[in-house]
Order: sequence, then C-alpha cells, then structure tokens
Amino acid sequence: MLSIKDLKAEIEGKKILNGLSLEVKAGEVHAIMGPNGAGKSTLSSVLAGRAEYEVTSGSVSYEGKNLLDMSPEDRAREGLFLAFQYPIEIPGVSTTNFLKTAVNEKRKYLGLDPMEATDFLKMMREKMDYVEMDKSLTSRSLNEGFSGGEKKRNEVFQMAMLEPKLCIMDETDSGLDIDALRLVSNGVNKLRNKDNAFLVITHYQRLLDYIVPDFVHVLYKGRIVKSGDKELAKELEVKGYDWIKQEVEANS
Amino acid sequence: MLIENIKTAFTQYKNQAEVSGFSVLREQAYQEFEKLGLPTTKNEEWKYTNLKVLANKDFESTCISSGNVKAFLQNALLNKITANKLVFVNGTFNLELSEIIEKDNSIFITNLAKARSLHAEIFNQHFGKYANIENNALNSLNTALLSDGAFIYVPTNKTVEFPIFIVNIADSSDVNVLNQPRNLIIVEKSASVHLIEMYYSLGSNSVFTNVVNEIYANENSHVEHYKIQQQEGESYHNNFTQIFQEANTNINHVTLTLDGTLVRNNLHFYLNGQNCNSLLYGLYMPHGNSLVDNHTRVDHAQPNCNSNELYKGIMMDKSVAVFNGKIMVHLDAQKTNAYQRNQNILLSDEATVNTKPQLEIFADDVKCTHGATIGQLDEEPMFYLRSRGIPEDVARKMLLNAFADDIAEKIKIPELVTLLEEEIEKKL
Repeated sequence: MLSIKDLKAEIEGKKILNGLSLEVKAGEVHAIMGPNGAGKSTLSSVLAGRAEYEVTSGSVSYEGKNLLDMSPEDRAREGLFLAFQYPIEIPGVSTTNFLKTAVNEKRKYLGLDPMEATDFLKMMREKMDYVEMDKSLTSRSLNEGFSGGEKKRNEVFQMAMLEPKLCIMDETDSGLDIDALRLVSNGVNKLRNKDNAFLVITHYQRLLDYIVPDFVHVLYKGRIVKSGDKELAKELEVKGYDWIKQEVEANS
Repeated sequence: MLIENIKTAFTQYKNQAEVSGFSVLREQAYQEFEKLGLPTTKNEEWKYTNLKVLANKDFESTCISSGNVKAFLQNALLNKITANKLVFVNGTFNLELSEIIEKDNSIFITNLAKARSLHAEIFNQHFGKYANIENNALNSLNTALLSDGAFIYVPTNKTVEFPIFIVNIADSSDVNVLNQPRNLIIVEKSASVHLIEMYYSLGSNSVFTNVVNEIYANENSHVEHYKIQQQEGESYHNNFTQIFQEANTNINHVTLTLDGTLVRNNLHFYLNGQNCNSLLYGLYMPHGNSLVDNHTRVDHAQPNCNSNELYKGIMMDKSVAVFNGKIMVHLDAQKTNAYQRNQNILLSDEATVNTKPQLEIFADDVKCTHGATIGQLDEEPMFYLRSRGIPEDVARKMLLNAFADDIAEKIKIPELVTLLEEEIEKKL
C-alpha cells in the first residue's frame, strides 16, 4: 500500500529525514517509535502534504501512485488520513458541517452522489459510538473548547467517518489520560481490517498495549535504524533509547 | 457641483419654510456647513477617505423616484421577516410600502416630519441634542437639508414586540440623488426595542446618502441596533450615529457593510451613567475599488461600565478599509472595562487596510485593551480542512464564512442572521 524509499526531507534548510525507507501492506499496523527530534512528526507531515517541508530526494508510492505529487486534499480523498498530534480549534465551523463537506467532497472525487442528509446523520450516530463521543459535540464548532481527550476522540471519529485506507496517527497518545487512551484505542481497533493499514507514531510504548502493532520501527536521526515486532517496543520501554543511539554511533 | 447643489436646495427650503425653532436650527446648520465645507484629507479624521469625487458631481435633493421600488422591496430579505417597516424612498416617507404591526398605541413608530407636529414635546426635547453639528460638516449638512426619517418612541416599561426596520432606498433612476435621512429614537426607562437600519439603492446614476441617527436610551433600557448597508452601484454613504446611554442600559450594535462604493460610518457612544454595557460589532467586505471607513468612539464618562468592540474585515480586489476606534475614558470613569479589536483578512495583494485603535485614559483604575491584526487566512486551519479531503477553494470559503458569520451572529434575530449569512456567502 505504502512504499517509502530513501526519503530525505528538510524544513527551512534543516535536514530532518535522511534516507527513510518503509514498506506497509494492507492489514498491517506499523509503530514508529523514536526519541524526540528523530523526525517522527516530520514523517507524518510529509506524508500528509504539509507545504513547509521540502522533499529533497527519495520517493513515496501510495497504492501505486506518486504520493508526493498530490495535494493534501487529493491524498485524503485517495484514502490517507492523518490523526493530528494537536488537532486545532476552528471557531465558526461546526463539526457536522465540516464532516458533511469532507464526506461529500470525497464522494464527489470518487464519482458518487452526495449522501442523503438522513443517511449522513445515521452514519454520524453510529460512528460516534466507536469512541463514545458526546452527541452535543457535533453541533459545536470544530474542537472549540474541547478537552484534549475530546479532541483526540474527534480525530478517531473523523477517521471512522472518512473510512481511510492508510491511517497515520501522530502521537495520538500525547496528553491523554488512561481512560481517554482506552477509548481512542478501542475506536482504532474497531476500524482495523484486512484492507486498511495503520502507521502509529509514538514516543511511548503505552499506546501499543492497546493498539498492538505487527511491526515496530525505531526512527533516529531521520532514518529507521531498527525494526522488530511488538517485543521491541517493550524492550525500549525498559531500556530507553540510549542503547539504540549507541549502536548507531558505533556502526557509523 | 455638490456645494452649489446644496446651496440651491437650501435656498429652496428657506423660501418655503415658516420661521420656527426648527428653521432657525437648520439655518445655523447650513451656516456651519458653509463655513466648514466638505471634509478633506487634510483633516486627520478624513486622512484616508477622500470625498473629492463627490464634490465634482452634480446631485439633486429630490424625492422623485421612477424605479420600481415596490418590486425591489418584494425581493428584499426584510420581506421575509415579521416586523414593523418604515420605508423611505429618496428621503421621503412611503406610507404604502411601510407597515406597522405594533398594536400598542403608546409606542410611536412613525416618520419624523409627522412627529414634529404630532409629538412636538418629545421631538423638541430630543431632536438635535445628541448629534453635534458644530465642527461637523456632514451632520450640519444633514440638519440643514433633512427631509424625513424615522421617529420611534418607546415609553417606560414597554417592549416593542417585533423588530423595527428603517428602510432607506436611494433611487437614482433619473438623476444623481442626494438623500439626508434623519432618525430619532427615544427608548424610555426599562423599555426595549430591536432596530434595523437598512440601506439599498436602485438606478444607474450616483447616490449620496448622508444619514444622522440619534438614539437616546434612558435608564435600564435595552436597545438592539443593527445597520445593514447594501447600496449597490455608484453609491456614497456617510452615516453618523450617536447613542446616548443613561445608567444601567444595554446596547448591542452591529454594522454590516456588504456593499457601497464609499461608506463612512461614524458610530459614537456616550455612556452617561453607571453600569452601562455597550457592544459594538462590525463586518465589512469591500470589493473592486470600494472603500469602507469605520470611525467609532466610545466615551466612558461614568464609572463601572463595560464596552466591547470587535470589527472584522475581509478585503478583496483593490478595496480599501479604514478602522479608527477611539475609546475615551474620562477622569471619573473608574472601574471601566473597555476592549477593542480589529481583525482583517486580505484576500488580495492590492487591498489596503489602515487601522488605528486608540485609547485615551484619564482615570487610573481601569482595564482597557486594544489591538489590530492584518493578515491572510491562517495556514493551520486550511491544512486541517484540506487534510480531510476538502479542496482548497472550498476550505477557504468555509473559513471566511466562519470569520464573517461570527459578527452576523451577534444579531439577536435568528431568521435575519440566516438571511444575512446567505448574503455574506454570495459576496465571498
């Protein structure tokens, strides 16, 4: 589904990704871990299409298409979804109106008619249950005055509404208490199936107790320096990142 | 030339008028106007708004209208709202198009010309007492040449059930027209009213509308006051509003400038008693070569009052906006809370905003803030919407609508808000 080859990217002349390669197939969950400053958020930003980041070399192929050539909205309509680390508040745009627009723009892109209002509302109700989201939140402005937990649940709710193929979760666990973490994770687990894939970016192993990955990769200095299964995450939790850093320095 | 047209119009008036207190006041006003002339850009208050284009045109102070005003009004948004309607065409009261549904006879919703004789005592007590003519050329001009306008009197403890629309239509089908609407609104103790001034134009010639509003809010009253400016074509509009607040009054004001070649609003609040609340909101969305100038002034003359002001602009094409907001906190006005913000979004490289938030504070125990921003749409919300599959142009529209609707939603009549939001959307 996703094939990243030797990706190099920078922001304002500062090199962040230094030859990152990664293969993700449908049905898989990949965790990307790494110390602060390793390039985790840059990876999610580049994949989602933030203009501030410049890709200097390498390629990203998504479902056989060149992802880097696409606008952020086309990436989304092709089935890519980024759950933001810090979902922003947008006063004056209601969650309902926003999602109706997003869902129907995607349908338009795929050559489908807009959803009937009643069908849409029914779908909203169903998907809200995935993350036990309070119904009253949807009539309010997008994320405005939401707690940290509510914002992250709203991200997973949007994910459920848009039914993406590739979900990138950018430090979704940051700032969540244990109850919110469980709700968010349960929502994600309900969405997992053989046709979609997840890229779970996190600093801590904690989230991976709930969203169990098939693969764990360690990102350091803009490259994947170690890959393994979920046991690697547990090892990192116990030993920290220093031993990885030392291994990398020793090999270079 | 405008100055000569004004002279002719005033001479005509003088030749017909009987001598009275009213005619003396008008004579004084005319003398003041003649002395001052039209403001020029040398005047600090008119630095960015040049009226020269008016001075070189010919205008007629005429009440003649040949356009199909009736058909025009049938399509206007106010036709969709249950309300009292006072309609003025080229400054003349139009009884046929007006509609008063208020049943309480102690509430007067009528035209000024009629009220001057019918309610002379109230008229004489309030008329010309709040809008200063001294050193104000355009207020003087209005006072000298005014034809008619709304007269609204809400007695103590009364609430006007339905909103009152004061509709001014400038019809320039035949000639360039000069209109001088003049409204006097008196809201007595513990009374309340919703007022909506609306400005329209039709016809293909030029329109110069020069309005003066005097609004007196007696103790404990509540006034919702909205101004909706939608004069299309070649239209010049100057609007002076003086709101005089006694103790414990609440005023919520919203100005929406949706059209007009040159629009200058002068909104003045005088807080003459304690515990007043004054809210001032404005939205302007100029396009083409048009100019919108909002000058506001809030005089905190007494302690323990709050004022909050937010003006927003969406600037398109080669348009120009001016915001000049002055808050005067007088020596006695301790414990004043006064806030003021002006936010502008530039959608074009060629649009200009001149903004000047001003505070003058003579008391020492007050909370006042002011600030202004001029910029483009924020990148972050744009990216967020696009990352959900919403195309850039749709996302931009959603964000601009949200920015503008924030002001429209300060209006407390939901069905009017819905209609205005549709108008706003059409402009974007």
